[in-house]
Amino acid sequence: MKLLILALKNITRHRLRSLLTMAGVAAGMFLFTAVETTQHSLAKVTQASADDTTLIVYRENRFCPATSRLPEHYLPTIRRIEGVREVIPIQIAVNNCGASLDVITFRGVPAEDLRKYNPDLVVIAGSYENWIKRSDAALVGETFAQRRGLKIGDKFEAVGINVHVAGIIKSKESQDNNVAYVHLPFLQQASNIGLGTVTQFNVKVASSDLLDPIAKAIDETFRSDSQPTVTRPEKAFFAETAKQMIELIDFTRWLGLGAVAAVLGLVANAVLLIVRARVKETAILQTLGFSRLQIASLVSFEGILLGLLGGAIGVISAYLFFHWQSFTLGNEGLTLAITPSPTILLKGLLVALLLGLLASLYPAWRTSRQPVVQSLSQ
Amino acid sequence: MFITIRNLTKSFKKGPNLITPLQNLSLEAPRGEFLALMGPSGSGKTTLLNLIAGIDSPTSGDLMIDDHDVARLSRAQLTKWRSRHVGYIFQLYHLVPILSAFENVELPLLLMPLSRSERRARADAALDLVGLSDRAQHRPPELSGGQEQRVAIARAIVHDPELLVADEPTGDLDGESARSILALLTSLSQDHGKTIVMVTHDPKAAAVANRVLHLEKGQLVNPPATPASAVS
Repeated sequence: MKLLILALKNITRHRLRSLLTMAGVAAGMFLFTAVETTQHSLAKVTQASADDTTLIVYRENRFCPATSRLPEHYLPTIRRIEGVREVIPIQIAVNNCGASLDVITFRGVPAEDLRKYNPDLVVIAGSYENWIKRSDAALVGETFAQRRGLKIGDKFEAVGINVHVAGIIKSKESQDNNVAYVHLPFLQQASNIGLGTVTQFNVKVASSDLLDPIAKAIDETFRSDSQPTVTRPEKAFFAETAKQMIELIDFTRWLGLGAVAAVLGLVANAVLLIVRARVKETAILQTLGFSRLQIASLVSFEGILLGLLGGAIGVISAYLFFHWQSFTLGNEGLTLAITPSPTILLKGLLVALLLGLLASLYPAWRTSRQPVVQSLSQ
Repeated sequence: MFITIRNLTKSFKKGPNLITPLQNLSLEAPRGEFLALMGPSGSGKTTLLNLIAGIDSPTSGDLMIDDHDVARLSRAQLTKWRSRHVGYIFQLYHLVPILSAFENVELPLLLMPLSRSERRARADAALDLVGLSDRAQHRPPELSGGQEQRVAIARAIVHDPELLVADEPTGDLDGESARSILALLTSLSQDHGKTIVMVTHDPKAAAVANRVLHLEKGQLVNPPATPASAVS
């Protein structure tokens, strides 16, 4: 503790240098946290878990909502398959099938079925009843509304479709927070797809171990039909359909590693400069009786403080940035909300601390071994 | 004897040459003696001082200080021994500029198992002894040279070592400050029983010591003398 206080005083000795170092560390750790947040958000929507019970029925060999067309009359057939708990037909309209930062997605669903299919949807503004009553009404996801600055009563137009905001919804499923739910017949007509055609069916099954057998049963049922299907668990569907976006996000891993390397080099350079400027002072401390371990600890604490203080600024800034900015990545009609996570915040702080320690190990070792007499006579 | 040195030799390699700043030096000093080391530059004064202070190790010979076989201690043992038994006073004070006078004096106490209040009491007492209680919160750049050296002396005595070593403690001070520092060192020897070994080029400074030793080419060149005869 005493050495830590001494280390803190030491890094305030050259304030500008320390501030510039911390600013560099903050920039690097901001980038690292941004990459980690994106990776974490992607993992949440693509990694299967035991709680998953949703299947997506899509048109075989199609990857974009604009080309996946299935007859709405598949609905009762799917519903009759044993183990199926709930089915909802969905028409999807998007402004852009490619990977994009600003995707607008409309989901057309039968008004009477939405709540039954998704009871977790919470209307946080407006009302569900108003949405039912009005054919051009939309229930807008919280993140979508925030991103577009929408409020109840607003009208907005996208993808050539004009809607009226009847409610703002919140769900534990990030996909729901990034779309606008509209009435199925309205969207079918407004998007010129025509009545009776949908993009996909979302199927809820009784338990996760039924996902594979029911998927096979659905595909088998429509194998000889003119519109054969491919049915996958929701997260596998996301992972396979939004490949472009996933590859892009995978690449950012290298940016994160680059940021970590930059922080490591920056702190190591700063600590080396610090100890080189204090050769004689270190020798004085050694003369007073400070051991090698205490000298090494003092230098390491300075590195850790530079890493941790700069890192904390960068990591917390990134957390707040994603909290307030509500970034959404979209691909093939699927959206990925980049949401900050306390786990990533803690991971970022831990990485900053470890980088500070790692960067100061060599300077600390070298300093603790400098010969006292020669250093005093410098 | 408090200090017993027998056939002490220090040599080291510098490039292809073997340098021997001290050769077969022997001396003794009783507890509480104020010893001055004089001699031309390169005579081995500072080397001897560093060996006595335990910041350097001899090549051969015996060095006993208060029954501690200092010549045989490992580097880690020497570090620990220094922190308990030696106070070092430098010519250029070498205070840590970002720390206040109080914090500089407190530094050696950070190595001891003392509570904060105990450290405070000891540092205050040391600053009081050197007459700088009213400058405790001042940082080195806010102090005069004489005051800085007083803080350095307080730092050297705060952990109550038996041995004080001083490397030209008045070398960078004006006459009046030098006299006051020498008076302080004399008092530490006479009133507090500290054994002091001081390197100096200044005959007036050497004159306050109980005994003056003269070194040349790594060896004592005259038998222990009284201060008056050494100065003359």
